[in-house]
Amino acid sequence: MTEGRVEKFRSIEDMNRAPAPRAGQLDFERFLRHCARHWAIAPKTYPRGVFKFRTIEDAERTSRP
Amino acid sequence: MDRDEIIRVLRAFDACGLEYVLIGATAMGFHGIVRATEDLDLIIRATPENVERLRTALRQAYEGDPHIDEISAADLLGDYPAIRYYPPSGDLYFDVLTRLGDTARFETVDAEMRDFEGTRVRVATPSALYRLKKDTVRALDHQDAAALRERFNLKDDD
Repeated sequence: MTEGRVEKFRSIEDMNRAPAPRAGQLDFERFLRHCARHWAIAPKTYPRGVFKFRTIEDAERTSRP
Repeated sequence: MDRDEIIRVLRAFDACGLEYVLIGATAMGFHGIVRATEDLDLIIRATPENVERLRTALRQAYEGDPHIDEISAADLLGDYPAIRYYPPSGDLYFDVLTRLGDTARFETVDAEMRDFEGTRVRVATPSALYRLKKDTVRALDHQDAAALRERFNLKDDD
């Protein structure tokens, strides 16, 4: 755990432009942690197995649960 | 799927010598653009030997899953260049491609090697991801393309 901090902005636009502090974590580690939170908050149950498609667009259209 | 499972799969890819390139949100994560995803997208080199490496790696990661036998070179090198594998863990899946659109193949997607906890991971470059995402019909891809363009100062011809 890194030290917390507070940043102040005069507008939401300034806030959105400001880079988020990374606290020394590797980018991919942040990605994994973010996904882990997402999966915990919004768990999904998928079918099992292998499905095949002629294009990735077909896969997007027909089988995303 | 959890953090350790993703790492276990990437380790299995590396250990089996799978020739692949990560694309999609997982690849963007390596480049510091972090968003949640439910799939792990990869383009693999389209050879029978490499498809066998994929099967071997998945068997290492998901020991005993009989569905892995349904992944075949005949499909991936033939009429079905996109397969989706749902592993037993059940909350994340793999989109495995041998070609994407008219031009994107393992050989044509610019990539770089990254190291994560001692595992080599072949990741599409930001400009390669941008090219893959900027002209698709999916709204999420457009958001990703915009994020890549802004973060890496990419131009439309990048």
